[in-house]
Amino acid sequence: MSEWHSGSLYDNINVFANSLGYENAGIAITLGMIPWESVEDRNAFIETITGDIPKGENFTNYNTQY
Amino acid sequence: MAGNKNSGGNQPNSPQNNFGVSATGGAGSKNGQPKRYIPGMKSLGSTGTETMMQQSGAKMADNRAERPMGALPKGGGKGAMGFNLKGLLDEDDNPLEPMSTGINFGRGANSEALPSFLRQDVRALENKEIVKKYLPAFAVAAKSKNAPESFKRFINYMFGQIGNV
Repeated sequence: MSEWHSGSLYDNINVFANSLGYENAGIAITLGMIPWESVEDRNAFIETITGDIPKGENFTNYNTQY
Repeated sequence: MAGNKNSGGNQPNSPQNNFGVSATGGAGSKNGQPKRYIPGMKSLGSTGTETMMQQSGAKMADNRAERPMGALPKGGGKGAMGFNLKGLLDEDDNPLEPMSTGINFGRGANSEALPSFLRQDVRALENKEIVKKYLPAFAVAAKSKNAPESFKRFINYMFGQIGNV
């Protein structure tokens, strides 16, 4: 059985779906498919468009200053 | 005498003329390119002096100060395809249907005037297509070791979408 990795395709989709809302699954999946430079870049993008910290669990690399 | 005052080399005590020299290495200055005699132009039918005179003639259009960057000029502008472009609130050629018709601001009817297929929230339909396409792979990923509960909830939501739409 494969292991879940932070920053992987499914991790990106998970974070986008939980940050944007399940009703926006289409755009969440599309954004999750973008090859983000890093988890920090992805999370910064989410913060920019939602005005909130990214949601979803297993934030191993997320900046905890918030 | 081992040299004279007219010899070359760096002479910092002599007057230095730095004006008219472009920082990017060209001969241009804030006043544009200097006029230059181009001997090679003779072979193209010019006397050379004609070309030199032409250089002081026409100037490039410069309307940068007239409007902010990216804004259309007053009364519209030319798009990439050559069509006249106008802003949403500009006067247009059809006063019975203003440019802002269908939008919830400005003149004209609001979005209620749009046909139903343009008013409808189509996200559920889009989601259904995406669910059908990707859900099998997502379901496998949800079984991964350490898969977060939030992802599993999302997959459950997508399974629910199949029956609801």
